[in-house]
Amino acid sequence: MSTPSTASQELLIDCKSVWKVFGDKSAQAMKAIAERGLSKTEVLREFDCVVGVSNANIQVRKGEIFCIMGLSGSGKSTLIRLLNRLIEPSGGEIRIKGQNLMQLGAADLRAMRAKHIGMVFQAVALLPHRNVLENAAFGLEVQGMGKAERHKIATAALQKVGLSDWTHKMPRELSGGMQQRVGLARAIAADPEIILMDEPFSALDPLIRRQLQDEFRQLAKELGKSAVFITHDLDEAMRIGDRIAIMKDGVIVQTGTAADIVMNPANAYVAEFVAGISHLHLVTARSVLRPVAEFQKAAPQVDVQTLPRATPDADLDALIAIMVGAPDHAVAVWDGANLLGVVTAKALLKSVQEKPVHGAAEA
Amino acid sequence: MDNTQAIEAFDARVEDALNWLRDNAGFVFDATRHGLEGFFNSINWLLVTPSLYLVIATFVALGWKLVGWRFALMAGLGLLACNVMGMWGVTMDTLALVIAATIMALAIALPLGILAGYHPKLDKLAEPLLDMLQTLPPYIYLLPAIALMGYGPATSLVATVLVAIAPALRLTSLGIRRTPNEYIELGHANGIAPVQMFFKIRLPFAVPSIMAGINQSLMMAFGMVVIAGIVGSGGLGQTIYEAIRTLNIAQSIDATIAIVILTMVLDRLTQSAGTKKTGAAK
Repeated sequence: MSTPSTASQELLIDCKSVWKVFGDKSAQAMKAIAERGLSKTEVLREFDCVVGVSNANIQVRKGEIFCIMGLSGSGKSTLIRLLNRLIEPSGGEIRIKGQNLMQLGAADLRAMRAKHIGMVFQAVALLPHRNVLENAAFGLEVQGMGKAERHKIATAALQKVGLSDWTHKMPRELSGGMQQRVGLARAIAADPEIILMDEPFSALDPLIRRQLQDEFRQLAKELGKSAVFITHDLDEAMRIGDRIAIMKDGVIVQTGTAADIVMNPANAYVAEFVAGISHLHLVTARSVLRPVAEFQKAAPQVDVQTLPRATPDADLDALIAIMVGAPDHAVAVWDGANLLGVVTAKALLKSVQEKPVHGAAEA
Repeated sequence: MDNTQAIEAFDARVEDALNWLRDNAGFVFDATRHGLEGFFNSINWLLVTPSLYLVIATFVALGWKLVGWRFALMAGLGLLACNVMGMWGVTMDTLALVIAATIMALAIALPLGILAGYHPKLDKLAEPLLDMLQTLPPYIYLLPAIALMGYGPATSLVATVLVAIAPALRLTSLGIRRTPNEYIELGHANGIAPVQMFFKIRLPFAVPSIMAGINQSLMMAFGMVVIAGIVGSGGLGQTIYEAIRTLNIAQSIDATIAIVILTMVLDRLTQSAGTKKTGAAK
């Protein structure tokens, strides 16, 4: 699922050690945290303040879908609201498209939100007294665009989410899944580079949720949008996200691709989380390959050039199919003309072993 | 006794103050009185100038559009009955009084209610005042008004406006305050300006509450306008008051029936106007 092509893209969101402390004495609490390194419970006891987000670092590049996964109370909803300053950060730096969000005046902030950051809410929040088209055009209307033009753009956005026949229905006439599509259409109508998704599919039933997850990912990739996607569902995060951050008690515990997190959990909390996740579909040639030099040391008699070949994105099925016919129990992984490494039968076996937490990396 | 002296002194002060006001600021009250009577007369003129059948037809049409044909029919018959009882003129006087008082009460209550909805502190300040307005016996407002503006519709208008302000103000403030948070967030996330936030988000959500407030204010105005018959407001209130003085029971019952009919018609009309607006497609 990793799309390394985004790594070289423009950095759209850049958060450096962002904090949010809720409470009347949050300023003093922040100072005490900086000077004395208080813990969350100490801050609560001493200042009656709640640490919502602590020292969060996030980088999201153009075209990337970044999931923030955490249980309720983990601070994920607070964190996403810091990204468009719906909640004022207590400390740290947030840059959107290189602009420091904290230094924007009221009008500039409004313009930034209107033009560059779309948002989709768990509660959908369609205005009940407006029809679907007028709801989808809401963001453009707020920007002061004329009626004909904004309706044309909103119609196009509704078409992208498959609702072009529903423009004149009222929100209450739509199912939950369709309402959330309208929410998505409203967010993309203003053509922002960044879309913030705050648990958008949590309230939907599983089948619809899956369908929307796939559609959303496809749409975001097609339009080249970056997204920050909040969820409490690890499956959802792995399905949608190019990279995933796992949050607990306001702290980002681990950031990485789905494969990184499942194969190499950073701590016991993450390990427990991913324990139930089958990692078989995460196995790709890229994730199990070993360096050529290492392979040559173990098997100097084999010429790497003659090994059967696989692409880096080859999945478990494809690798097994090739491996079965490989005389040397090894497959070379080529990315175009570049030899990336070698997948050995042993490494492949280890990768499908359940609970590979301590093994896979050393194979 | 010290107490009696103190109270006598207090009473004398109040009387002096009223006299002083009448002597020194009489022109203000005269002007107010002329203004109020002018307003009342123009609304009254609108109601009595056209043929009564035209007025009834208007009510029937409105009733049909806002409520339904059955209500429209009953409203038409009821209003005709007022005419049959020989009460058309006074019924329209009462209607004009109620409309004039409600319009003035809303002109005060709606802006203040919106302000109070935005500023919780103002709301806290207004609460006890509104409580007082609503719990004081309505007769109380008549006395100072009559002292300053004399006998007639202007006095009853002032008293009625005071009584009718509270419900609309309260429910407007409540409606503005109770905008669901997710919609406020939606507005901010889209970079909405404060004025747009009011008109595009807060107000549409507050409309049902505001309409309920308008309906309540109207009903309060009805109650007061009847009581105000004693200060010579004209209309059904005065008819009832005079019937009571002369023990003309038949006349007082006729007038009561007319009041009930008028109240029910206006109540249903304004209620439906509220729900139709918010429930309909646009």
